[in-house]
Order: sequence, then C-alpha cells, then structure tokens
Amino acid sequence: MTTNDAAAGKRRSRPLSPHLGIYKLTMTMAMSIAHRISGGALYVGVLLLAWFLIAASADAAAFGVFSAFIESIIGRLILFGFTWALFHHLLGGIRHFLWDAGYGMDAPLRDQLAWATLIGGFALTIVVWAIGYAVR
Amino acid sequence: MTNDSDGLRTPLGRVRFLGAARNGTGEAWLMHVTSLALIPLTLYFVWLVLDLLHMDYNGVREELGRPIPAILLLAFIIAGIVHMELGMRSVIVDYIHGGSRAWALAANTCFCALLALACVYAALRVGFT
Repeated sequence: MTTNDAAAGKRRSRPLSPHLGIYKLTMTMAMSIAHRISGGALYVGVLLLAWFLIAASADAAAFGVFSAFIESIIGRLILFGFTWALFHHLLGGIRHFLWDAGYGMDAPLRDQLAWATLIGGFALTIVVWAIGYAVR
Repeated sequence: MTNDSDGLRTPLGRVRFLGAARNGTGEAWLMHVTSLALIPLTLYFVWLVLDLLHMDYNGVREELGRPIPAILLLAFIIAGIVHMELGMRSVIVDYIHGGSRAWALAANTCFCALLALACVYAALRVGFT
C-alpha cells in the first residue's frame, strides 16, 4: 500500500493531533481560544497606536483627526475592546507563566485561574476606564 | 516509522522542512522573554495613555519627548511587535497548510516589520522635532 503510494509519487498525509471539534468545551479550552482571539485583536489594534504616533509626529491637524475619531462612539468602542484584549491577554500570559513553572495545573486550580483571567480582564478594563473618565 | 517506502531518501531528507530543527527553542525563548518584559511595559503603557488622555497636541508631544516615557514606549513597541509576530506565526503554522503557509508567514513578518518601523520612526520624530 505505502509502497504503491510512494511509487506513484504521492506524499502520505502526516498524522495530526486531535483538534477542537471532538472535545467537550472546558473553561481552560475556552480561555485558550480567548487568548488567541484577544491576541489577534491586539495584532490589528496596534494599528491604532501607529496612527496615534504618526499623527502626533505630523501636525496638529493630523492629531485632531485622530482625536476626533478616538473620542467618537465607534472610536471609544474600539478603544474599550483594545483595553479588554490587552488585559485579558496580559492575565492569560501570566497564567501561562504559572503553568510553565509547574503551578496551577491541578483540576480545581486550573479552572479557577481560567475564570480569574476572564473576570480579571473585564474588571481591570472597567477600573481603567473609570479612572480614565474620572481624571478628565 | 522505519519503512522502505521512501526508497533512497536519507533520514535527513525525510524530516527536512517538516518542523522545528535547531531554531524552535529560540522562538519559544524569545516569546517568553518578550511576554515577561511586556508585563511591566503594558502596565506602564496603560498608565501613560491615562496620563495623555487629558492633554492636547502640544502636551502629548511634550510628554512623549521626555526620555523615560519615550524609552519605555519604544520598549513596549519593540517587545510588543516582536511578540505579536511570533504569536501570529504560531497561529499561521497551526491553521494554514500547504503552499499558502509560506506566503502567510512572509506577509506576517513584513507587516510587523513595517508596523514596528512606522511606530519607532513616529515616536522618535515626536521626540526629536
């Protein structure tokens, strides 16, 4: 069989590890996906930082365009989402460091850490936005 | 794994281009170093943005022109963009197979390099003009 395939010049497909579809969704799995989603969001979100810096380096008019965008409802929503992605990904990263060091792998603690990532990410986002509105 | 189906191919020829060899740990190490650096740098960045919120154009330029905010912002940009390049690289390797993988990896590296150059250039220009 394999000899025939090789003779026909075909590449045998290499085995892949089982993927998302066949497992029951667990909290750590959901947070693993959320870590990638927040990372992907930050990947795009850095464009906002680039725009801010380029506008600040150009002139007052360019900076005004950026300021008007970021103060609009859509701008605020994007910045709120960016803040959440930043904190969620930060806490997820700290959780991964704990796991790398060998802590928090056991059944109750790993789920508690996953919940802490989720709740902590939203909590820090809300705290920072509260501070942001308070200092204005 | 031992079979004769690959004929005259050497063991090295069979495994080449199938995955990490020699450089895999370097990528993982850089990922860990940047993520560790990004813990304090991200917290500083959030603090900096909160500080900049109630400033106008001149205030923002003055703040970003000071050495410590400028240096820490540059560190955040470089560590962050290296980190995101590595992160997207692992996502691409997980989900994109076949010939388009190399294009996706190249596009990722070019996008991140351009973004890093734009951010660093702009941040330095704020400080030096």
